Amino acid sequence: MSSLSGRLLASVSLLLILFFGVTIAALDAVFRDLSQRSIGELLDAQLVALLAACEPDDHGNVQPAGALAEARLRQPGSGLYAEIRSPDGKLIWRSPSLLGNQIDFGGPVAPGAHNLEQRTLGGNLRTMVLTSSINWEIAKGANRQFIFSVATSLAPYEAQLARFRSQMLGWFLGLFVLLVGSLALLLRWALAPLRQIEAEIGEVEAGQRASLSASQPRELLGLAANMNALLKSERQRVERYRNTLGNLAHSLKTPLAVIRSTLAGESAIDRRHEIVNQQIDRMNAIVQHQLKRAAASGGAVVGQSTVDVVPLLTELRAALSKVYSNRDLLIEIIAAERVAFTGDRGDLFELLGNLLDNACKWCHSRVRVTVGRASQADARTRLQLTVEDDGAGIASVHRQRILERGARADEHVDGQGLGLAMVREIVELYDGTLEIGDSLLGGARVSVCLPGR
Amino acid sequence: MRILIVEDEQVLRESLVTQLGAAGFNVDAAADGEEGLYAGKEYPLDLAIIDLGLPKMSGIDLIRQLRGAGRSFPVLILTARDRWQDKVEGLQSGADDYLAKPFHVQELVARVQALLRRSGGWSQPVLQCGDISLDTRSQVVSVGDTVVELTSFEYRILEFLMLRAGEVISKAELTERLYAQDFERDSNVIEVFIGRLRRKLDPEGARQPIETLRGRGYRLALTRAEEPGARADG
Repeated sequence: MSSLSGRLLASVSLLLILFFGVTIAALDAVFRDLSQRSIGELLDAQLVALLAACEPDDHGNVQPAGALAEARLRQPGSGLYAEIRSPDGKLIWRSPSLLGNQIDFGGPVAPGAHNLEQRTLGGNLRTMVLTSSINWEIAKGANRQFIFSVATSLAPYEAQLARFRSQMLGWFLGLFVLLVGSLALLLRWALAPLRQIEAEIGEVEAGQRASLSASQPRELLGLAANMNALLKSERQRVERYRNTLGNLAHSLKTPLAVIRSTLAGESAIDRRHEIVNQQIDRMNAIVQHQLKRAAASGGAVVGQSTVDVVPLLTELRAALSKVYSNRDLLIEIIAAERVAFTGDRGDLFELLGNLLDNACKWCHSRVRVTVGRASQADARTRLQLTVEDDGAGIASVHRQRILERGARADEHVDGQGLGLAMVREIVELYDGTLEIGDSLLGGARVSVCLPGR
Repeated sequence: MRILIVEDEQVLRESLVTQLGAAGFNVDAAADGEEGLYAGKEYPLDLAIIDLGLPKMSGIDLIRQLRGAGRSFPVLILTARDRWQDKVEGLQSGADDYLAKPFHVQELVARVQALLRRSGGWSQPVLQCGDISLDTRSQVVSVGDTVVELTSFEYRILEFLMLRAGEVISKAELTERLYAQDFERDSNVIEVFIGRLRRKLDPEGARQPIETLRGRGYRLALTRAEEPGARADG
């Protein structure tokens, strides 16, 4: 059970079932006890009435004289029955209500006994039978034992019990549903802030929101504040880190530029110049690549905002048109819909800058950028960027080397390699995909899938 | 061609002044953004090379202010921060090209020459007017198929006139842009060089490639092989 309200509801339901079960059982027992007692009292009263109606007859037996006062004893199948028999089991009298039934009221009983028992008369007639042995003075000084039995059908009582039970169950079931339902509603209301904070955290992860809102209940304010502080410090840390790296790159490259220009100023060019220049190239490649790579955030920051792709592409196109203004380039941007990249703006700039710069460098006159969204893909690869040109394309040998995971960008000396290796590393940081193929325009076609919306 | 270098690193700045000077440019230098702004506004420049990380005023702000003040000469950015975001920001602020540090001086010179050609409406490295062709990379000048040997001063004057072929250029402007030191304005040095150029380019005196417009200046009168581009510059 992973949900809080689920846990609460389940445990409360279990407790209620237990509580209601015990209550139902107790009520049921009380009701049955009461019914039984009232049956006993009824039978007692009938027995007394029967005894009162009986008179000794000519054969030394006793039987009711005249019409019976109790109408139910006269009416066949009424549910109230009576029998008088001798201690040896000989039938003396039966109530007319028993007409047509083969009925066994039981065997002989001890003198003075007074038994209440449940019997099934006539095979299917469930009854409660009161049997009493009566010592009757028939004539002066002549006493005889008679066994009087009075029975009442249990059907009305059972029906009543069933009705009582179904009513009770109905009430308790209703009560249960009402209680659990209102508890669920209460939980929904009480836990709403938790759901909201969960949704906000989701939005922060998706980059739709920078921090958690301040309108939280008192118990969650601390959590939200801590979370916000964490987000802020993480962002600041990354920012500081980047600035430091930028400054480091700057302060390393300027001395390299000084060394290089000083060397170039020397008139005598010898082998030492060449070596120093080569080493400067190497150091520069390392500084450039490693620091750039380290500064690429790769979606490491939670709460990253999204970047609109097309405006950024338009800015890049304007910049590149300036740089390549001596060539008559046509740079097309094809975007069917508004798409956004979930990640760092600098990273997207770096990625698209390298792709477009490469394309401009190697194309004949046309570059085409296609931006789209793959709706069925998962969020990590939803943004699709394709850059094509009409140049000579990329040889398959180079493709292999560029796509090789873990190949370092600074190992590529020049050409398409350096920029594309950087692109590949950014794509890897974001868990995206990179493909290199042939364009219908005639040159290279580089496709990138990245997280986006 | 008069170029301004704004770079705060002294060794680099001095070395660039020397080497661009050796490449035939007339170079001014400034060590911070404010100096750069003064020089950019006051001097008749053909191009500026601006480092982005400058003290007192950032390179981006400097370029914005120069453009805001109506200075339309090409600007080349030098930067150690070579992230695309920075490059795009620099180009958006009004720069025309960028070069990441550390760079080869030859590369810098090539970019500067390309920018100067572009601002004159030329896209190819070889300028062709009539039968005169000038290769800005090798600095070789030929008339028809014959290579003409020019001194570096003669070359610089011809390059300037050809870059702006069709325009009238005053003697004062030629002096200001081609000489590092202030000459007396009425000195006849320019006239002497123009005279020598005419003799070398047109020994028979038949075509008169360089016109003199009295009281206004000089003009290269030959037709450009390449139409000036749509580049309005600025």
